[in-house]
Amino acid sequence: MKKIVLSTVVASAVLVSSAFAHFQLNFTPNSALEKGETVKIVQTFTHPFADEHTMDMAGIEEFYVINKGKKKCLKETLKPITFQGNANSGKGFATSYKAQRMGDHVMILVPKPYFEKKEDIYMQQITKTMINVAGVPTDWDTDFGLKAEIVPLTKPYAIWEGGSFTGIVKSNGEPVPFAGVEVGYLNRDVDVVNYKMGPDRFKAPQDSFVTMGIKADKNGVFTFALPAAGFWGFAALGVGSDTEHKGKELSQDAVIWVEAKKMERN
Amino acid sequence: MLKKVLVASILLSSSLFAHSAIMSCFDNGDGTITCEGGFSDGSSASGVKFRVEQDGKVVIEGRMSEDSEFTFERPSGKFSAVFDAGEGHQIHIRGRDIVE
Repeated sequence: MKKIVLSTVVASAVLVSSAFAHFQLNFTPNSALEKGETVKIVQTFTHPFADEHTMDMAGIEEFYVINKGKKKCLKETLKPITFQGNANSGKGFATSYKAQRMGDHVMILVPKPYFEKKEDIYMQQITKTMINVAGVPTDWDTDFGLKAEIVPLTKPYAIWEGGSFTGIVKSNGEPVPFAGVEVGYLNRDVDVVNYKMGPDRFKAPQDSFVTMGIKADKNGVFTFALPAAGFWGFAALGVGSDTEHKGKELSQDAVIWVEAKKMERN
Repeated sequence: MLKKVLVASILLSSSLFAHSAIMSCFDNGDGTITCEGGFSDGSSASGVKFRVEQDGKVVIEGRMSEDSEFTFERPSGKFSAVFDAGEGHQIHIRGRDIVE
């Protein structure tokens, strides 16, 4: 009996590790804007730290933005693009968005499930990214009741380099105790004009630093310190309520992107 | 007596410095301008005084709406929009800086 338990544990650990490090990116270059402006948005399914493979996005189910509680659909504005990673290129999407009003503009991207051949499963990463205009907080801490969601307890656009981010992993508004969360640093510049990844900024001393695995506590809450400026992605894997797609297993994940800013001297 | 004075000044400074007033204005492209007011702590600016000044004179005066906004017709010539939430909480934006 003990043996069986052990082999199950090993098998599931292997499963998790191979779906490891895939991050749906919904990128905009600056998440804290001085005033309203039109911003470029690029979506690609990537490995943010190592960029060893760019996946083809399967398409878009939903893409919308919420500002002061008002929802605006952006799905029809997306254009298909070919996104060039350092190893290969993949299908992605791009658009621009007029972030005119003050406050938080919370973007929610629900991609169509992606088929991961190696594992014979589908993956769907419901991704939250936000922009703040002028420093007035409005919608950042809203719990949208998504099937898989990370609700921030720290403003994702107001973190100094070396600061920390705290969030709650939720599914349909309910916390997910001890959820596994992967942390990935976007280890490069993203060219939002030519749809291209830049070179690595940092080297990892060992594989556990490439994608860092942490766990939420019994209330679904996790905190992570951000040692470098730039964008950090958090992905809670398999926490969503949909578990099957086209007769196969579906891992429905919650992703949130946060940005740490450099503390520049005067 | 001294103690009382100290407490009052601490309370006063905390309410003055805990948040800052913020205003953002944009041109709606139809001859009108919308100004949005707010505070860095997220509190509402509904009811806060708003005015438009031209050559030192007030030409439009009112209060921020329920949504902390004020929309007005763009005056011709130089002007500034003023969000007036009291001393230390006044924001001036010049007309030429208000774009679509």
